[in-house]
Amino acid sequence: MHQSTGIRTLRTIGGWLVVAAFFFPIYFWTSVAFRNSKDIFNWPPKFFVFEPTVKNFEQVFGVSLGFGAAEAVTPGGGNFYMAPRLWDSIVVASMSTVLAIIVATLAAYSLSRMNFRGRHEFVNWVLSTRMMPPVAVAIPMFFIFKQFSLLDTYLGVILIHGLMNLPLAVLLLKSFFDDIPSEIDESALLDGASRWTIFRRIVLPMAKGGIAATAVLCFIFSWTEFLFVLTLTQTNLKTVPVVSSTFVTSIGTAWGNMAALGAASIVPAFIVILLVQRHLVRGLTMGSLKQ
Amino acid sequence: MAVTQVKRIAISDSPIPWLLPLVCLLVVFTIYPLIYNVWLSFHEFVPKKRTLKFVGMANWVQLWNDTRFWSALGVTFLYFFIALVFEIILGMAIAMLLDAELPGFGMLRATLSMTLVIPPAIAGMMFLLMEDPQFGVLPYLLNTMGLLDKSTPILATSSLALAGVLVAEIWQWTPFMVLIFMAGLRSLPAEPYEAAMIDGASSFQMFRRLTLPMMSKVIAVAVLLRGIDLFRVFDYVFVMTSGGPGTATYTVSLYAWQQTFSFLKWGYGATLSLVSLVMVMIMANIFIKVFKVRW
Repeated sequence: MHQSTGIRTLRTIGGWLVVAAFFFPIYFWTSVAFRNSKDIFNWPPKFFVFEPTVKNFEQVFGVSLGFGAAEAVTPGGGNFYMAPRLWDSIVVASMSTVLAIIVATLAAYSLSRMNFRGRHEFVNWVLSTRMMPPVAVAIPMFFIFKQFSLLDTYLGVILIHGLMNLPLAVLLLKSFFDDIPSEIDESALLDGASRWTIFRRIVLPMAKGGIAATAVLCFIFSWTEFLFVLTLTQTNLKTVPVVSSTFVTSIGTAWGNMAALGAASIVPAFIVILLVQRHLVRGLTMGSLKQ
Repeated sequence: MAVTQVKRIAISDSPIPWLLPLVCLLVVFTIYPLIYNVWLSFHEFVPKKRTLKFVGMANWVQLWNDTRFWSALGVTFLYFFIALVFEIILGMAIAMLLDAELPGFGMLRATLSMTLVIPPAIAGMMFLLMEDPQFGVLPYLLNTMGLLDKSTPILATSSLALAGVLVAEIWQWTPFMVLIFMAGLRSLPAEPYEAAMIDGASSFQMFRRLTLPMMSKVIAVAVLLRGIDLFRVFDYVFVMTSGGPGTATYTVSLYAWQQTFSFLKWGYGATLSLVSLVMVMIMANIFIKVFKVRW
């Protein structure tokens, strides 16, 4: 549609203003990570002008960046170096992603290629597991984990995050496999190749991009998950979102350190947007909308 | 040789080996918790003896008479509807605004979607800081605009606390709607619009008669996926208000969690989570049937 220059200008200004409003909290949060407490607790709040410092990062990560001594923050009295917690997040998110992708590619291939009775119902069942409220899973899982000594272990959290991401991974991968023409499979079948060979040699390589996008989305859902980690871990491991909630204590909140942690946790957000921007909509809707 | 060949194809053509790992894991993740929750809802934990005791229907009777549960259900529905309405309207408006090839708009769309991959618990903490009555940015802005007295603590005032939490929710998830609606707008055919232009239709008429009906499937998918998440809201209320002040922001998920893990009412917590699960299932399935959403 043709639009006049006036409307285009208005639209440009409107677009920038709206996105600036949405971006502001991210900017503000990141800026707090670089502030001294006097600039954090100032009234009126300081939006743009403050004295920058990396003290908060040094304290949270327990490293000296050469601007003074690094001390660990101790809300509630514990040692709070964050590096191990970031490591926990990375291990849990990557291992659970591997689990979800392996199981889901197998299932998605057969759901995309094989015609069997009840296939549609099966897809609906997979989708319906996505509707379980996490709290309805976390309560029984707490007790079964207790029985099998899985509470507070990497294996336990990896399993539960992998399971949590299965419906997303299956439906999304199915939609990527559906995009690959099935004539390729059929002619290979006629040539005597087995389903397994076709899957490994033809379909997997062709769906590489889609599988990578699915993996990145699984990673981020595990990275941001809160309730399961809160419920199923105690001291051995904690992921970043759960640690963030422990910064509020009876003696006050370490906002600067909190913000430093928050800013560090936003880094994966930047990376993900760069990696899967093209597939983001498809991922968020589990492939029900194709872009 | 030929026989094994045929046999191999026959075996590998059955979907069972392909689906088996998935089925096993999903049974552990869905069927087992469901049965366990049902079983637990007829029991209660006795802290002194550290055992479970069969209590029959007691938890279900308690649920029926529990005003706290009904208030939590009310809060959950209120949160659900307000967030959904705001996210749909704002999402549609912003999607239509940004759906243009103007300088920098590609970058704007990418920036907007960043909110989606920030952990909700951290976004909640972020808004906790920004809504602080002593130094927060939001009270400052509202105070300057004359909308709210500076000394009013948003998250500690029962009439405002839910709004305070909803700000975080709507901030984080409106971009989700924007992205989905924008994908829908991209896929619309141009011909009906050209025809409508020739007939002299206004832009509002075109939106009402063409865009909305053609977008209905996209809107249905967005509402379904967001609705499922909204009904089980936990992260924001847990980190921002813990349900307070009073019961103003108590949601069913939070109530179930607290009953189980803070008050050790294992059976009652399971009952609450079961009710929440059944409600999501019923609502989502009706929605899927009515709006014919298909995967």
